[in-house]
Amino acid sequence: MNEVILMAHVFFGVACLLASLWVFVEALNAAPGHQARIRKLSCLGAAAMWTAFLIAGYWYVVYYKSDKAIILKGPWPVAHNFFMETKEHLVIILLMLVSYLPIAAAADLSVNKEARRVVLWVAGSAVILALMMEGEGAIIAMGVKVGLLQT
Amino acid sequence: MENTNLSRYTVSFGISLALASVADGVLVVAKEKSSPVMSGMQRLTGHHWITHSAVILLLFVICGLVLAQLDGGKGIKITGGRLICAVLSGVAAGGLIIFGFYLIGD
Repeated sequence: MNEVILMAHVFFGVACLLASLWVFVEALNAAPGHQARIRKLSCLGAAAMWTAFLIAGYWYVVYYKSDKAIILKGPWPVAHNFFMETKEHLVIILLMLVSYLPIAAAADLSVNKEARRVVLWVAGSAVILALMMEGEGAIIAMGVKVGLLQT
Repeated sequence: MENTNLSRYTVSFGISLALASVADGVLVVAKEKSSPVMSGMQRLTGHHWITHSAVILLLFVICGLVLAQLDGGKGIKITGGRLICAVLSGVAAGGLIIFGFYLIGD
């Protein structure tokens, strides 16, 4: 069950990343026919991120303690001391960015250039931050792995 | 006031996002440096991270709704460029406080 929760949070995180990237590309080429898709994708990205956040939060509060002990005893304590500590707080900023995306994307981006620029910057920032979260997650998982290999 | 094509919620929640991002970073430093703050946050919900997330997300929602009601319900009027600058500055500042703290401050 522990592993399923962990995999599910990665799955929904990647879904959020892809949806934000899709919104960015659609906004780059904004046309009247794209607007409904942009709105749906921005809502999908926010829903995926909220799901990932809630699943990851549950896992972090309930299961992470044992992983943390393994990491801190292993050769990569930085996987917790820096990467997990920053990830658990930066992810809140990512959650707010993608939650903001449907609000900014509510305007007609094909005619409203200001709103289009806002959506481009917010979606682009969300993609970069989501990639960072994926990378940090990989380092944390590796921290557990090298900790277990050492024991 | 400047002319803008942005909706009042786009502006208010954008500014709120910037403020909440900085608050996220400041709260990290506060709870890690002050044990009464950390223990208080743990007591409130059972885990400091749950309290931290709830405080920041509530701040984001409440600030966004309140800022949208300013100027007689018309909200704040700023240009897209200034809003983007505010959002990116807030997100970068929040991120740098968190990274910087765990890199050198902790």
